[in-house]
Amino acid sequence: MASSCVSYEGCNFFRQRLVLSTLSGKPVKIRKIRSKDDNPGLRDFEASFIRLMDKITNGTRIEINETGTTLYFQPGLLYGGPVEHDCNLQRSIGYYLEALLALAPFMKNPLKAVLRGVTNDQKDPSVDTLKATAIPLMKRFGIDGEGLELKVLRRGMPPGGGGEVVFSCPVRRFIKPVQLTDPGKVKRIRGMAFSVRVSPQIANRIVDSARSILNQFIPDIYIYTDHMKGANSGKSPGFGLSLIAETTNGTFLSAEMASNPPGQGTPILPEELGKNCAKLLLEEIYRGGCVDSINQSLALLYMTLGQQDVSKVLLGPLSPYTIEFLRHLRSFFQTMFKIETQKPEEDGKGGQKVLMTCVGVGYTNLSKTLK
Amino acid sequence: SEEEEEEEEDSEGGGRKAMDSGNCSEEESEGSEVDSPLLEELGSKVKHPKHKEKALEEEEEEEPCFETAGELRWKEGLAQKASEAFLRQQRSTPNLRKLVYGTVAEESEEEESGGGELGGLFHVSRPESEKRRRADGLDCSHYPPDATRDWDQQEVLDSIRDCFVTGKWEDDK
Repeated sequence: MASSCVSYEGCNFFRQRLVLSTLSGKPVKIRKIRSKDDNPGLRDFEASFIRLMDKITNGTRIEINETGTTLYFQPGLLYGGPVEHDCNLQRSIGYYLEALLALAPFMKNPLKAVLRGVTNDQKDPSVDTLKATAIPLMKRFGIDGEGLELKVLRRGMPPGGGGEVVFSCPVRRFIKPVQLTDPGKVKRIRGMAFSVRVSPQIANRIVDSARSILNQFIPDIYIYTDHMKGANSGKSPGFGLSLIAETTNGTFLSAEMASNPPGQGTPILPEELGKNCAKLLLEEIYRGGCVDSINQSLALLYMTLGQQDVSKVLLGPLSPYTIEFLRHLRSFFQTMFKIETQKPEEDGKGGQKVLMTCVGVGYTNLSKTLK
Repeated sequence: SEEEEEEEEDSEGGGRKAMDSGNCSEEESEGSEVDSPLLEELGSKVKHPKHKEKALEEEEEEEPCFETAGELRWKEGLAQKASEAFLRQQRSTPNLRKLVYGTVAEESEEEESGGGELGGLFHVSRPESEKRRRADGLDCSHYPPDATRDWDQQEVLDSIRDCFVTGKWEDDK
C-alpha cells in the first residue's frame, strides 16, 4: 500500500497517530518531538509503546533520529497472536491498552496480550475502568464472544508497578454500524475500591464516603472492595476508586481516582478521595451521552471503520483529545462527521449533548484467516 | 444532497454569526474571548462606584452612607442581567463542525511565518506559544472536569436529577 506520508509535529496524540497509521497503512512522520525541551526527544514510555506496536505487527519499519526528536513510522500488517510486554512505569497499562483496544479486532490472529506494569495511576484510564466501559462498548459494535476478556491478575501502583493484566480479543472481518442515540437513565452504580500494601480498612472508608454522596440520587449502589495481598499487590502502596454508572440502555459512564504515589504531592485521605471521585461521576453523568468521555475516540474509530452504513452516536461534550482524534480521522481516512449539538429539552437532564453521524468507510479485515 | 447540507451549514453558521459575534470563534483561543465582553462591561461598571464608595468610607467612616444608594442602582437586577447574558451565550453554541474541522489551514500558515531566521544564521527563539505547548502536551484521553460546577450545591445536583431512574420520566415511557 504505497500511500503518501502524513506528517505531524510534537509528541501529543502520539498513540492515535500510530494507531491510525497502522489501520490505514499510511506511514506517519512526527517531527519536533519535545525539541525545545531540556530533555528532548521521545520518552521511555513512548519508546515502550513503539516496541509494543512492533510486537503486534509484522513488517513495521521505525526510524528515529539520534536525538529522538523525529520519528518515521511505516506500519506493517497487524499480526496479533500471543504477546507479552513490560510496559514502562511512567505511564499505566491503560495507556497501552487504549491502543490495543482500537487495534485488536483488526488483527490476523486473535490477540492475547499479557501486559505488566502499573495498573492504576492518576493520568490514564485504569484497567478496571476500561474493563467496565470499553469492553461493553466493543460488544455494541459486534466485537464479542468468549474471546473478549480483560483480567487484572496483579495490581501495581506507581512508582514501583508490578501489576499484570491479560487482554484477549477476537478478530472481526467487519464492524457493525450502530445507532446509539438514547442513553437511557442511570439505574445502578457499581464500583471498585482497591487498596494495596496499605490497611484493608482504607477501601471501606472510601466506599462509605462515596456512597454518602451518590445515595442522594439512587439507592442501588454497590461498591466492591478489592484488597490484593502478597505478590498480587505489586511493589508500591496505594489505593483508589473507580465508579461506573449503568443506564437502562446499557451505557456505562465512569469516573476514577487514585492516591498519590508515596512522596509525591500531598497525601489524600481516603474519605476525600471517595467524595471527589463520586463528584467526578456526577460530572460525567452531567455530560452524559451514550459513551463516556474516555471512550469517545474508540467509539468514533469503530464508527469510521464500520460497514458502509450510517452510524449515529450521542456523546457528551467532545473532549480535547476527541476533537484532535476527529481531525486525525479526517487526515487518515477522509471521514468527516456530521456534528449536531442537542440541548436537553428540560432541566434536570444534564448538559448539552453532541450527536455524531458518519458513514463507515467499509473497512474489511483482509488479513483475518477464514476457517 | 451533500452540497445542500453544506449550504445549510454555511447559512446556519452565518446566521449565528450575525446574532452573536463573539462566539463562532476560531479555536481554543476563544476561552478568554468568549466571556470577556460581559466581564468588561460589568468590570467597568463595578469599578467606578466602588472607588467612590471607598473614598467616602475613608473620609467619614462613622456616617452610614445613605447617599450612595442612588449611585448603586447599577446593582439592581444584576443577577438577572447575568443570567440573561449567560443564556444568550448558551444559545449561541459554537459551531462545532468549524471548531473541529475548520482550523487546519490556519495552523500550517502560522507555521510558515513562525519559523523566523535572522540572516539565515540565527534562529529567533520565541516563548512557547499555546499551540506549541499543546503539541508537546500530555497524551491522555481523560477529560478534566469543569471546575465551575460545584457538586455541593443543591441546584447543581438538581441539574442531573432526571438522568436517574429515580427522577422524572417522560410521558411516553
